Amino acid sequence: MLHLSRLIGRPVRDSSADAIGVIDDLIAAVGTSHPPITGLVVRTGRRRIYLGWSSVERMDAAGATISATRVNISRFRRREDEILLKGDLLDKQIVDIDGRKVVRANDVILDFVEGAMRLVAVDVGAAGLLRRLGLPDTWVNRLSGEQSRVASYIDWEDVDPLGSTIASVRLRVPHAGLSELHPADLATIVDQLTPRDRADIFSTLDEEVAAEALEELEPETRTDLLEDLEPERAADLLEEMSPDEAADAVAELSPLSRKEILRLMTKEERDDVQELLAHPEKSAGGLMTTEHVALRPQATAAEALAAIRRHKPDAEVAFAVYIVDGRRRLLGEVTLRDLVLAAPNTAVGELMEDEPVAVELLAHSDEVARVVTRYGLVAVPVVDASHRLMGVITVGDALWDVLPEEWRREMPRRLHADSLAAAGPLELPTRATAKRGAKGAAKSRKAQPRKKGAAKRG
Amino acid sequence: MANLSLRELFRRRRGPFAFLAVVGPGLIAGVAGNDAGGITTYATLGSQTGLRFLWILPLTALLLALVQESVARLGVVTGQGLSDLIRERFGVRWALFAMIVLLLANLANTVANVAGAASALAIFNVPILITAPLAALTVWLLVVYGTYRSVERIFLALTAVFLAYIAAALLANPNWATVASSLTTPNLGGVSGAEMLLLVAVVGTTVTPYMQFYLQSAVAEKGIGVEELGAARADAILGSVWTNFIAACVVIATAVALGSLGKPIGSAAEAAVALEPLAGSFSKILFGAGLFGASLLAMAIMPLTTAFALAEAFGFESGVDKRLREAPIFYGIFTAILAIGAIVVMLPGLNPIGAIISSQYLQGLFLPIVLAFIVKLSSSKSLLGEHASPRWLRLVGWGFVAILAILNVGIVLVNLLGLAL
Repeated sequence: MLHLSRLIGRPVRDSSADAIGVIDDLIAAVGTSHPPITGLVVRTGRRRIYLGWSSVERMDAAGATISATRVNISRFRRREDEILLKGDLLDKQIVDIDGRKVVRANDVILDFVEGAMRLVAVDVGAAGLLRRLGLPDTWVNRLSGEQSRVASYIDWEDVDPLGSTIASVRLRVPHAGLSELHPADLATIVDQLTPRDRADIFSTLDEEVAAEALEELEPETRTDLLEDLEPERAADLLEEMSPDEAADAVAELSPLSRKEILRLMTKEERDDVQELLAHPEKSAGGLMTTEHVALRPQATAAEALAAIRRHKPDAEVAFAVYIVDGRRRLLGEVTLRDLVLAAPNTAVGELMEDEPVAVELLAHSDEVARVVTRYGLVAVPVVDASHRLMGVITVGDALWDVLPEEWRREMPRRLHADSLAAAGPLELPTRATAKRGAKGAAKSRKAQPRKKGAAKRG
Repeated sequence: MANLSLRELFRRRRGPFAFLAVVGPGLIAGVAGNDAGGITTYATLGSQTGLRFLWILPLTALLLALVQESVARLGVVTGQGLSDLIRERFGVRWALFAMIVLLLANLANTVANVAGAASALAIFNVPILITAPLAALTVWLLVVYGTYRSVERIFLALTAVFLAYIAAALLANPNWATVASSLTTPNLGGVSGAEMLLLVAVVGTTVTPYMQFYLQSAVAEKGIGVEELGAARADAILGSVWTNFIAACVVIATAVALGSLGKPIGSAAEAAVALEPLAGSFSKILFGAGLFGASLLAMAIMPLTTAFALAEAFGFESGVDKRLREAPIFYGIFTAILAIGAIVVMLPGLNPIGAIISSQYLQGLFLPIVLAFIVKLSSSKSLLGEHASPRWLRLVGWGFVAILAILNVGIVLVNLLGLAL
């Protein structure tokens, strides 16, 4: 195992043991889980030259030896899929995907694995700092215990190197690891980043992942981020978000960007958002999402399930389908449970519960919270003055407004800290549970405050 | 520097500055000179030297404008804090050096503010030995148990008292011709060693190292786009002028009220005399309340900024919304600075006003180091591209670094060797 801090500045010798220069940097080809070292940057006098790895015979803490027969020297030029371990990584901020934290790379660990010298880990602990200060190993070991030293290594597989922070160089990072995270965790990380890194990450992430993370971000961060992104990209992400969240996000934008971004959205999504924007913020209309499944009474249970499959609404919204007449007046609702249990060809009109609990568009958010709590609802339909179905408010959104501010702010962090503590420091399974595999619980943050044992609606 | 909204600053890891968005960094930075260190140093300049050294204020305004413009530019273009950049561009050793300097400077400033709180209550006959530990403990509890924000606004409102100096300076009715000529003609003739130290303290209290770290994080966190760089610059420059305008008012008001003394102010009560033309017998209460509020604000902000900057540079857990166990190093630094600040002020025989002036002198001593980092970073083409400092600005920047460094080395040597200047 080699430490980058111990390699920089070491001599590079040719086969006759003459020093031709010193190691200035190491180059690795990113893209694999443990990227192989592909070359050295050697400083000879005032020049920086590139030395392909094939000409390096040996490299250890004493320096590097190059073979005379295969020397391949050229001026150093950066290629796209390569990173400079010192220039791009050392001292820079990285995301510890496993720990869901933004940390700083104090040292880089290399090892000979599978026939090649590879970048295996990043040291983010005190030992790395001490080594960088030039302390000898005996001191480093004495000052930082063995355990803390190992614990401070982050496997390169769990590292997201972010973009480069240097204006003239943009590192292309796929951020694959980040997109595996639960959106709430991703949002926690993104909240800690600089505006530039945020925009960088959000322009490469998969649309669906990015949209879900946007829903989880702090409102101010979200606003800044949407304004930093290319307007086309921002519009795409807003389309992917649930309409009520998208409307909330759009409402916070500056008038200029709002106009531009709305113009770039598809007509359908734009109409939804604009309709929601027209409602007062603290009213049922302002809380609701237009996303829901509505059917005529003669539709069958099988058709209702097919409709859910087709629209793919969020979990809480999919909890029920609504039965409306020809003028969209709300007649009743059928829960997902009843649809699943019923014979496929039963008409939903027979299954439905008449006159379900609903709130009016202008009902105050306090009243909505009360209704949802009193009847123990997962989602409550919203109707206008002539009882036409306008949208649905989920329990999370209904209670969000009445939660104390402290709770809202701390909830994601608390959840995160507890899930880590429960798993112990080095066990990996927590990560799996928090990954998008558990996407059904993606809204757990908002759904969590649901009142336990609330009376069943009746 | 105390009058910034702590709540806004530390709500997230690097602190957003929604507060700045409303008021504008200009006004904030303007009242920022009004902490215990600033008021006491300016008042001492007035009482000890009268109107003679008013010219130092336009010069420090220029320096402050230059530094804050560079820092704002760095923040806007890179989107990063100053300690971030020092770590990333200069590596661990330089970052450690810069952080030690910042730590010492802020430690000194914390001492100044505990001393400020103590001397504010000394007006009401509360002994220092009681005020210092109690004030430190109160601030610690308020920050660690997260209730700080509920009282922060009270402290903030108290510091508005210092705006009264503008009226006090007008009412003092000095010889305006003397003021004008003193403002515009730098004159070091017959300057004594003690006066030289005082001048460095004035520079140090106006251009605090701490403030630059704070401002850059502020600008970076706001995510101001490069297209708004002009506005950010204008704010930084206007703020500098406003700061020193208030400073000049403090000097003028004190010079007229106490100028015949020809010696430093001895206590906060004495400094309050400058407000008498305006507030009469209430002046002591007014001044004491303002000084107390400003000191308590800074006693929270100073240790916290240090802890945040160190966390930024070395990457450990930070944040006031973390629990003690989650961020032990962060809270450890915070606690240690506050405790040391209180203990130093409680040392027997320590004169609080003297401690404040000395700590501001230390700010001036460390300034060229921090300034060198800022000048170097802000003229880096690879970092800022087309927004790097032009040649003339770079030269002026290095010029200030050189003058301050020579001045400081000279003063340190003179003091070490015990020579008279």
